[in-house]
Amino acid sequence: MAVQIVVDSTADIPRDRARDLGIEVVPLTVMFGDQSFQDGVDLDGPAFYQKLSNSPVMPTTSTPPPALFEETYRRLIANGATGILSMHISGKLSGTFSAARQGAEAVTADTHVPIEVVDSDTVSGGFGLPAEMVAREARNGADLAALKAHAESLCSRVHVIAVLDTLEFLQRGGRIGRARAMVGTLLSVKPLIEVRAGQVLPLENVRTRSKALERMGQIVTALGELESLAIVASDSVVADQITAVAEGFWHGPIERFALGPVVGTHAGPGAGGIAAITRA
Amino acid sequence: MGRWPPAGNMAKGFFSRFTSARPKQISVFDGQDLKRAVLAGQAWLEQHREAINALNVFPVPDGDTGTNMTLTMRAATKEIADSAETSASAIAAIFSRGALMGARGNSGVILSQILRGLSKGLEGKTTFTAVDFAAALQESARLAYSAVIKPVEGTILTVIRDAAEAARQSAANGANLSAMLGDTVRAAQASVARTPDLLPTLKQAGVVDAGGQGLATILEGVWRYSRGESLTMSPREFREEVADAHHKGMVTVEEEFGYEVVFLLEGENLDVDTIRQTIIDMGGVSTVVAGDHTLLKVHTHTPTPGKILDYGVGLGSLQDINIENLQAQSLRYAADSARQHGLNATTGAETAAANGRGVGTAVAAPVVAPPAETPSTGEINTVAVAAGNGWVELFQSLGVSAIVPGGQTMNPSTQELLEAVQRCPSSKVILLPNNGNVIMSARQVPELVTGKEVYVIPSDSLPQGVGALLAFNFEADFPTNCQAMEQASKHVQTAEITQAVRTVQIDGINVTEGDIIGLVNNRLVTAGTDRQTVVRDTLTRMNVAQFEIVTLYSGENVNAAAADEMAQRIKEWFPAQEIEVVHGGQPYYDFIISAE
Repeated sequence: MAVQIVVDSTADIPRDRARDLGIEVVPLTVMFGDQSFQDGVDLDGPAFYQKLSNSPVMPTTSTPPPALFEETYRRLIANGATGILSMHISGKLSGTFSAARQGAEAVTADTHVPIEVVDSDTVSGGFGLPAEMVAREARNGADLAALKAHAESLCSRVHVIAVLDTLEFLQRGGRIGRARAMVGTLLSVKPLIEVRAGQVLPLENVRTRSKALERMGQIVTALGELESLAIVASDSVVADQITAVAEGFWHGPIERFALGPVVGTHAGPGAGGIAAITRA
Repeated sequence: MGRWPPAGNMAKGFFSRFTSARPKQISVFDGQDLKRAVLAGQAWLEQHREAINALNVFPVPDGDTGTNMTLTMRAATKEIADSAETSASAIAAIFSRGALMGARGNSGVILSQILRGLSKGLEGKTTFTAVDFAAALQESARLAYSAVIKPVEGTILTVIRDAAEAARQSAANGANLSAMLGDTVRAAQASVARTPDLLPTLKQAGVVDAGGQGLATILEGVWRYSRGESLTMSPREFREEVADAHHKGMVTVEEEFGYEVVFLLEGENLDVDTIRQTIIDMGGVSTVVAGDHTLLKVHTHTPTPGKILDYGVGLGSLQDINIENLQAQSLRYAADSARQHGLNATTGAETAAANGRGVGTAVAAPVVAPPAETPSTGEINTVAVAAGNGWVELFQSLGVSAIVPGGQTMNPSTQELLEAVQRCPSSKVILLPNNGNVIMSARQVPELVTGKEVYVIPSDSLPQGVGALLAFNFEADFPTNCQAMEQASKHVQTAEITQAVRTVQIDGINVTEGDIIGLVNNRLVTAGTDRQTVVRDTLTRMNVAQFEIVTLYSGENVNAAAADEMAQRIKEWFPAQEIEVVHGGQPYYDFIISAE
């Protein structure tokens, strides 16, 4: 048996791909009023955005309880995992990393299987892509220390640049980093954001979607030489638009991550971006 | 003020406060002579201001050249008027500095460079002769050209160069100061007359260059002083002057309203809105109150200046009080002018405001301070020039650190811009002039500022300023932001809908005074009597169908319902475009429209 990779659902790894790569996904929770859903389990992206546009109440999100992590880790160990690398959404954006660490502490208190919990300092495909990369290495027998080191290296080099349809959702959820000038409601704009150092930072504001996508491409190009690149998008239309932008400067494979219900609650509909890993 | 003295009786009598009896044909000037000569140039310009204002190429209410040059001269002479300094060099240094700080509009900035050239040329000279002055004028021409990035001939630049060349030749031929000034003035006037041959837009509009005319006028005042002549103009001369200004069109000299009152008010907890409303309630017309709770500038037209001043004294300490009688002369001139054209002179407060007279008189610059909770743009501050409550709010929402009131008709002075920049907490400031006629004075700021790095984005419209601010990148450094913002501003197309202030034919478009006109990127594209039709034509000429989003900024005289209705029409004409309505509140322009 090998090292098992665990992520939370904000990695936005499509379910079948996670299954194929042997990645265990622990779901966060999305609530519309009294209704509660397991992210990606009983509510997928398309159903979520549909609900979002019709719901009179705005959704909220909550982290998995530490017990859910504990239970997951114990199950994986019982199934033969020799070590666990658990990768999570930035601790500055969610309490998930902290819950995972508590769950891990409970497990390591009475078992000898090592568990490494990593704060990715990013979100969505930003750590979904590194998780997929290390999952392949884990299958090839890499040990936990090497996997952890590589995961941390990848996460430190990942840049997530995204275009939102509106800043409304990010502001409502309080997930925008630093109290900085952002356009109010006086003009409609397509904000460009970056996830950096674990925070969501506003970059600039563009009046139209096509120019925003163009700027996103310019910003990613300016990052320098890339090792790998992925698309994160709320739906396939947005994913196609961004793929067209990325193909202008990137000729390698492009993986797609679908912004799921939890990330979608904070990014809003029509959001999409590029997760790019620069060369070490 | 007397009539023009008949020939042969020139040396005596008929003196204004700027002249004193002195021998004709003097050949050496000291500081006091220079002071009086410059004051005479200013006085002569003041009297010709309206005629120079009438030389606008485009029939739009924008920064009037005569007014801008007059205000620049006032700033130049403010500190010398009561000076007993006898050194020419010292006097020149003072007026040069005053002009530099008080320069308004592009013509004002070039004028300030001309005065700076004189100062440089006269450096170290307690007195000067024709040869000295001619050499100084050469320096003026050189500095004037260097102030402009792409010099255009057929403007004030050509006139100062031709004048300086004539001065040089005249002095070389042994002329004394007065004779040389005469040659200089004649060359300047001939140069002004040639400007339409050098600049086709002038020819089309049937005018000479306003800035060049302003310079020739100042030089003529200086020359007249050197001959001990009077510096007042008779109503008949004024009439002829105005009639000459447009040999084809016609000019209405609008009635000025009562007294123009301008002062600074310093106090505590001053409430700008309440003060503005109170002054309006007291009968103040075209009232502008700008500033913050400790310092603000009041500008109003009123029949009872005492009432306004009493009110101000009750609130705090008044400074830089300036009261002018607007009615006395201009009413007479307007009546004469109207009779001559068989027209009624337009009257009332609206037109007094519409000709932009005196708005933004040269006093220190209060700045609209951002509300306490306005987010700041990190370590880089931005300063924008804007007029209209909606625009002020919009720029504040975009995180600007300060707004300098001004724009279309009230061009802020270099000093006003400088003070706003200087007050920014950051050492890196980006300045957005948002008007073509403010760009040059804005460009003076980086050279005058102390302890700060200032970059001017040459935004020539308010939407371009918005475009620049939207591109502000919170994570990028100063040079990157300057470049990105400049790029972004260039991509914004701006259309303006306003009323023609005069009758003209330009670019094949016949414009009748009072017509609704449409401009795209500052070029006149259409004129008509129906606003909707003009808006539609303008947007078509703007190629709106090629853009994604149209933003309609409504002016102060357009209510929300009318703006929404116009947006509805635009949506019908251009169904593929997204339309957004924002209340700009700008004066004079019913709509400012951007396409991106």
